[in-house]
Amino acid sequence: MSRSGPPQNEHLWGDLPIEEPRGDDRSKPPDWALPAWDSLPIEEAAAARLQREAPGGDAAQPRAEASRAEASPTEPAGGFALRILQVSEITRAVRDAVRSDAGLRDVWVEGEVGRVTVSSAGHAYFTLKDERSQLACVFFRDDRLGSPFEPRTGLRVVVHGRIDLFESQGVYQLYVAAIQPAGFGDLALRFEALKAKLAAEGLFESGRKRPLPQRPAVIGVATSATGAVWHDICHVVARRWPLARLILAPCQVQGEGSAASVAAALDRLARWGEMCRAEGRPDDAPAVVILARGGGSLEDLWSFNDERVVRAVVAHPVPVVCGVGHEVDVTLADFAADVRAPTPSAAAEMVVPDRTEVAVVLRELARRAGGHAGRVLGGARAELAAEGRALERLQPSAQLAQARERAGYLLDRATRALRGEIGRRREAEHRLASRLGPVLVAQMGWRRVALERSSAGLAALGPQATLNRGYAIVRRRSDDAIVRDEAEAPAGERLSVRLAKGEVAATVDPESDTKSGAELHAGDLR
Amino acid sequence: MSDQPAAGQTVDIASLTFDEALAELQRSVAELEQGGLALERSIELYERGVALHERCAGLLGQAELRVQRLVERAAGELAAVDARTEDGAE
Repeated sequence: MSRSGPPQNEHLWGDLPIEEPRGDDRSKPPDWALPAWDSLPIEEAAAARLQREAPGGDAAQPRAEASRAEASPTEPAGGFALRILQVSEITRAVRDAVRSDAGLRDVWVEGEVGRVTVSSAGHAYFTLKDERSQLACVFFRDDRLGSPFEPRTGLRVVVHGRIDLFESQGVYQLYVAAIQPAGFGDLALRFEALKAKLAAEGLFESGRKRPLPQRPAVIGVATSATGAVWHDICHVVARRWPLARLILAPCQVQGEGSAASVAAALDRLARWGEMCRAEGRPDDAPAVVILARGGGSLEDLWSFNDERVVRAVVAHPVPVVCGVGHEVDVTLADFAADVRAPTPSAAAEMVVPDRTEVAVVLRELARRAGGHAGRVLGGARAELAAEGRALERLQPSAQLAQARERAGYLLDRATRALRGEIGRRREAEHRLASRLGPVLVAQMGWRRVALERSSAGLAALGPQATLNRGYAIVRRRSDDAIVRDEAEAPAGERLSVRLAKGEVAATVDPESDTKSGAELHAGDLR
Repeated sequence: MSDQPAAGQTVDIASLTFDEALAELQRSVAELEQGGLALERSIELYERGVALHERCAGLLGQAELRVQRLVERAAGELAAVDARTEDGAE
């Protein structure tokens, strides 16, 4: 078919007895008639078909009969025939052309989702656009409900489907069979590739993992300053271990530039720690760092799969606990971290102890200290009393020092043994000890050799050892009686104080009450 | 006796951190349990142990979480400024 130029058009219009159905001014052709039919760049196949049908006769095309009658070519010369088509005809012609094109029957289209509407029947209608064009899309209810991914305005997606014409509206549309986030397959591939690369470098090896400090005084946190994550971490630490101090390094945790922002926040915490240590206040340096982010889509969490973030975690000077997303979300930062926490709150719980548990440990320590102090003092008093009794009986003197030690020990041991065996009251013990004392002295002569052999071991427990430990034996000068009671040494009484080495003389000061003070104190310790 | 400041008691307990106080308390208890101590030393250790325990328990019960924000000034200079827990805005 030859394209007609404007002159021919004018000529044709001039000759044709076109009737205006609405009785408009016939002196000029109506707007809709321009340009001429045969100049329209319609599909060649459709045009050829139309031309074939033209001589076919009115009976074959009853619906087009009227217009065809009017439009019958009066000048068939040159093979040209003007045909006026029904709207539905042209629509169907376009539809057929579209349907016959294999390239449009099965398409994958990437674009950004524009406005989305969902009809009451459950079908979703949305536009897909790029910088230059828009494409109407329809996502039927059954396909939509079966899809894990919903079109949402602003998302970049890849849509799979076919192009077809919606005849009643005369628009072509993309009939969506499936929809996925753009780059979905890309992301998964990049994740695996980077993971393999970093794993080959050994960055994820368990040998690199550092233990967490038991009770960190300062905890660095790299997360968004806005949002629930930071709030949750503060809440958990305030409840469990409020002795700690949190230092937030705010960062952007999703979207463009977030990976660099997260890596920079970790770097700031590292520099801050180094600065504190360099300035001689290591207590202000973070002892552990939490890297956290709430849950989100794969893309939302993508910055935590960035190589820069992974390397910042691995290179961090103190252990890093990573709590990103929910339990099921695992990022490369999780692999790189010293400890992986399932959630941000769990990360906070991991880095600090629970103060109620620590309080239990403290109480146990206090109980042990009190118990031992009480036993030590109680034992010392019993020992002192027993030695005192022994010395009293034996009338110790410098010449008898060695024998006194041994005797004192033996008496003491006998006393204790008797106490254990018989379980008598204190008075009874005392009586028995009194009787035993002289017997032991009498036996001393023939036992001396045997005693001397074991004296080295025994000495450790005898009175001299006790004196060496700082105890003293106080006697009245007047009668050499051992002083055990304040009442036995009234003011002005002259005393002799036996020390580990030598003796000193002393007089009881009228105002002194040190002994009762010491007694009171020992009582406190029980 | 308790009025006299012990020779080894140079560090003021009120200035100890929780960890320092706890570590000293643990040492004191271990020394007490080891035995063979002079009476004065036992009493000294016990008294100090009681004070250390009070310090630790007080810190546990009364501590309030301190929250700071690390800010970067011009030329990369870092500073930690106090912040409130609920302070969400940048």
